[in-house]
Amino acid sequence: MKKFHIKVNGKEYEVEVEEIGGSLAPVTQVSTPTAAKAAPVTPSVAPATSQETKAAAPAPAAAAAPEGAEVITAPMPGKIMSIKVQVGQQVNAGDLILYLEAMKMENEIFCGRSGTVKEIRVSEGTAVNPGDALVVIA
Amino acid sequence: MSTQEKIKALQALNQKIEASGGQKAIEKQHAKGKYTARERIEKLLDAGSFTETDKYVTHRCVNFGMAEKEAPGEGVVTGYGTIDGRLVYVYAQDFTVLGGSLGEMHAGKICKVLDMAMKMGAPVIGLNDSGGARIQEAVNALSGYGQIFYRNTLASGVIPQFSVIMGPCAGGAVYSPALTDYVFMVKNTSQMFITGPQVIKAVTGEEVTAEELGGAMTHNQRSGVAHFAAENEEECFAQIRKLLSFLPSNNLENPPYVESGDDPERIAEELNDIMPDNPNQTYDMLDVITKVVDNGEFFQTMPYYAQNILTGYARINGQVIGIIANQPKYLAGCLDINASDKAARHIRFCDAFNIPIVNFVDVPGYLPGTNQEYGGIIRHGAKLLYAYSEATVPKITLVTRKAYGGSYLAMCSRDLGADLVIAWPTAEIAVMGAEGAANIIFRKEIEAADNPVEKRAEKIAEYRERFATPYVAAECGFVDQVIEPRETRPRLVNALEMLATKRESRPAKKHGNIPL
Repeated sequence: MKKFHIKVNGKEYEVEVEEIGGSLAPVTQVSTPTAAKAAPVTPSVAPATSQETKAAAPAPAAAAAPEGAEVITAPMPGKIMSIKVQVGQQVNAGDLILYLEAMKMENEIFCGRSGTVKEIRVSEGTAVNPGDALVVIA
Repeated sequence: MSTQEKIKALQALNQKIEASGGQKAIEKQHAKGKYTARERIEKLLDAGSFTETDKYVTHRCVNFGMAEKEAPGEGVVTGYGTIDGRLVYVYAQDFTVLGGSLGEMHAGKICKVLDMAMKMGAPVIGLNDSGGARIQEAVNALSGYGQIFYRNTLASGVIPQFSVIMGPCAGGAVYSPALTDYVFMVKNTSQMFITGPQVIKAVTGEEVTAEELGGAMTHNQRSGVAHFAAENEEECFAQIRKLLSFLPSNNLENPPYVESGDDPERIAEELNDIMPDNPNQTYDMLDVITKVVDNGEFFQTMPYYAQNILTGYARINGQVIGIIANQPKYLAGCLDINASDKAARHIRFCDAFNIPIVNFVDVPGYLPGTNQEYGGIIRHGAKLLYAYSEATVPKITLVTRKAYGGSYLAMCSRDLGADLVIAWPTAEIAVMGAEGAANIIFRKEIEAADNPVEKRAEKIAEYRERFATPYVAAECGFVDQVIEPRETRPRLVNALEMLATKRESRPAKKHGNIPL
């Protein structure tokens, strides 16, 4: 974990950066501007880009995954209806992972590769946005 | 020189040109899994049908020692031949000759083929394999590209133009393919980009391989620049021949009719069971299409891009149709930026080349999200409205299930000029879904009820019963026929026959201003 002081538009931010496997770096913003009064908080993406972490441009930090793992992300905004796998479960490419309710449709989200379910990052009822990590397969 | 000697000299010259860049260069090409220009033409066209043009053309450049440099065939083989017995023009850049680089005379050969193709009304297939502009020829090489772009544009909508990427294709060279109708790529051996990996590394520091940056799947899946991806060159040629079998040779001809042997009156019983009872459950629209068209054969264009909409060609009773279909299995079948672009371009191609359009509609709406709004879904979505409204070919719309709000209009509704709208009894044509509509219309009633949850469910059911059907639209004349799913094929055969003589004109104008 590294700490940085970043100035954006004259406002100072304190930012903590954790490096995972040398690839993506999820960014947590720990404090709001230290300068003067409480101004509207700039999205945490802004400090991230200004400090030139090697983040693959628009990919949300949530999608970070260990090397060699596949992160299944939400293709569209919606709500998790039901999850059909459990952590540790063996899955094959094309297996049904979960149902995402979006646009009044029970969208089937499938597995892209064979492997083991490493992590389930959502639960039933979670609202998700496009690109949000749902399940990690390794 | 005696006559015999002259004949010998000709033979020697022909041999020299046909040897391209020499044995070594040809072996290098083969080692990369690539055929040479002449081999490619041989494999693409009907056997023995190729006639070469401009074989003896040479460059005129004297800069930087180019005067002594020989370039057999000027680095491009041009001519004409047949595919399935139909005339096509073809050019194939020869990577073994100066890296297939494009100079003034190289471009001139390509332009001549394009001019001839336009005059004779036959498709052009360009096989691209070139390192780019021949730098020694300076601005003359640039002019060569410009000449090709200009002709590609003039020929657009007159003859089908295919670009086949079979090697590097960088910088200005990518724009001729982009201007043509269909771009074919081969996995691992073909790349397209404006600025290559080295330039990107130097300028932005990003490291990316050529294949990641501009390979076949990048352009088929992500960018939508290419329409087809093949495992190898043979498969690519098969795709080209297949696509051509659906297209007329020019804009004054009708697409080729082929006796399919599939009964036009065939009833597809399984279609009566294909629709889930739960309107929120998905199904595969491909199953619907393949059960309706001749012999189940649906040739998809851009199969990897914007999979929430399906586009492609098929035949119904031997007659070629262009298909646009929502795919509920992918992104719920929503319309979004990419789907709108993909479908609009397909519609415009079909309209330009007299191919009737059949739409399979099951669309819940537009994909919500800030990236869609910021990306300009308003402008891109408008292309779909524009393309449908502008098209004068027969337009048939089949609503299988959802057709809500703006997306109902966008999927070739009666108001955008559909000649015939057919609906299954499962169709839900309404301004919005039952849940949302009931919440708005009956808000006060629901709030005032003793049990709002129960009341809400009751009102949703009431709304669904009354409006989530094809009958309200049919009562107003927006739907012509409500049919059993199993009789879809005979109904479409009947509709296409009825519409075969359709004539519709548009106000005289130079051209419209499609939102780009």
